[in-house]
Amino acid sequence: MHFDFALLTMGKTFFFGILPYVTAGIFFLGILYRFSVWMRTPVPLRIVTTPGPKTRTGVLWRLIGDVLWFPNLFKADRSLWVAGWSFHILLWLVLLRHLRYFLYPVPEWVAGIQTAVLYAGYFIPIPLIFLLARRLVIDRTLFVSILGDYAALILLLSITFSGLLMKLFFRTDLIDVKALIHGLIHFRVLSIDVSWLFTFHFLFVTILLITFPFSKLMHGGGLLLSPTRNQRASFEERFINPWDFSVDYNDHNLSTPEKYRETLGESREGEKG
Amino acid sequence: MPVSVPEVRTGASSHQKCHPAKEKDMVKIDLPRERDRDWKETMLKKMAEVLDRYRSVRLFLDICVKCGACADKCQFFLGTGDPKNMPVARADLLRKVYKRYFTLGGKIWGRANEAEELDERVLDEWVTYFYQCSQCRRCSVFCPYGIDTAEITMAAREIMAAAGVGTKYVTEVVAKVYDTGNNLGIGPAAWKDMSAFLEEDLKELEGVDIRFPVDAVGAEVLLVPPSADIFANTDTMIGYAKMFHGAGISWTTSTYCNEGGNFGLFLNYANLKKINNRIIEAARRLKVKKIYWGE
Repeated sequence: MHFDFALLTMGKTFFFGILPYVTAGIFFLGILYRFSVWMRTPVPLRIVTTPGPKTRTGVLWRLIGDVLWFPNLFKADRSLWVAGWSFHILLWLVLLRHLRYFLYPVPEWVAGIQTAVLYAGYFIPIPLIFLLARRLVIDRTLFVSILGDYAALILLLSITFSGLLMKLFFRTDLIDVKALIHGLIHFRVLSIDVSWLFTFHFLFVTILLITFPFSKLMHGGGLLLSPTRNQRASFEERFINPWDFSVDYNDHNLSTPEKYRETLGESREGEKG
Repeated sequence: MPVSVPEVRTGASSHQKCHPAKEKDMVKIDLPRERDRDWKETMLKKMAEVLDRYRSVRLFLDICVKCGACADKCQFFLGTGDPKNMPVARADLLRKVYKRYFTLGGKIWGRANEAEELDERVLDEWVTYFYQCSQCRRCSVFCPYGIDTAEITMAAREIMAAAGVGTKYVTEVVAKVYDTGNNLGIGPAAWKDMSAFLEEDLKELEGVDIRFPVDAVGAEVLLVPPSADIFANTDTMIGYAKMFHGAGISWTTSTYCNEGGNFGLFLNYANLKKINNRIIEAARRLKVKKIYWGE
């Protein structure tokens, strides 16, 4: 029995003491890596979608609009827009509410939104379940959905439900949770007992954060670098392709007006228009 | 009026394939005469190059969330019901191969990421469905991230072209531009003749001498119309002449470059550029000040 206990302690130390740092490292470095790959890949042509903004300020507004409102989706599919947009807003609200576990002392505004934003947490499964059902019900989305698409939604649902269960039925000791998180932030690993439900909540978030940089969940970051959205529609300025090369005609496709000099005879000696 | 969205009918347009390119055209447009024996290696090499050269392609392959917003916006899907004509599924044809060979996730857990080997069957699908896209970019207007399937289609065609896989329609037209200056294959003599014919027509019609200058050195404007304007839509051609006449602007067409459309767009970057270059070459040769160009 003594041996088992030691193993359990080691497991806990790894899970709450080492894994979070590994996760944070993979999450941030992964995102940096993805951005660096995209940013160093050149944009050879101007492919901005009409109607495109003419100025840099215009581009900024377009991107802000894209991030906050999903205007293209609004045009494309209204019910999907309602679900997708509300999910993202609710997710941000819930994340803001979670700041109280990370900040000490808790800022007044974070304390102030706690009760109101609690409802965001209650509502968040609705769009998620809609998005999952939609994938399965519409023949078009069913056709294109892959395991990873379902996995992302199920993972988000798992995080949500483990969180809600903790809130509503199996209350966890928040003082311990906060002590644990603060220990991690200040590089002091504490041996604290937390509830099994919290352990699952923590695990699901860990999986999400580790896979995040390498999955389609990077779509938010990608949007900012999407050439059709972040380019200017100003055609006065010449757009230079950084890897442009010169082209030559070969013997088979060398065709100049000279080739037809005989056919054209005198008549091709330019006439004044 | 809202368009009715068809039910998914798997494989509905899988039999509709373009005629393969002819050797004589491939030679003229600097592509391999026929499909490479090592076509798979050639294509993967080209794919690596395309991924390093086009942020659009790499980014669009990476960030699609498969929400389906584009699915019912493509006329090829609306017309056929073939699910592989949904922009997201069309891009998936390339995305699967990208995941298999160029991403960590696809290499280690291919199933979850739907990674796929590049083989004969995949190439057959590429030839079929990447040529059932007209690169109209309608999907990009509805995608929340602006994913532009035309970029994907162009990339796939560029990759196929590098290994000597092309279609007769596109390669023949590009080759014709190098032969005659335009897509329709109208030779210089014929172009001059048609211009003279339109002059006569217009004289009869309006009783005014309105010129259709060809290869006129020193004109102010070089007009590069779609060649169909002199061949079929002659009213448009007559319209240009009337407009220039009325405005008192001297102008000319060129027998070296008389095509406003560029089929290089449907094939590869080198030919796209080469065809566009002809416009500049013609303008320099004719010493014009401006180019009016369009299709």
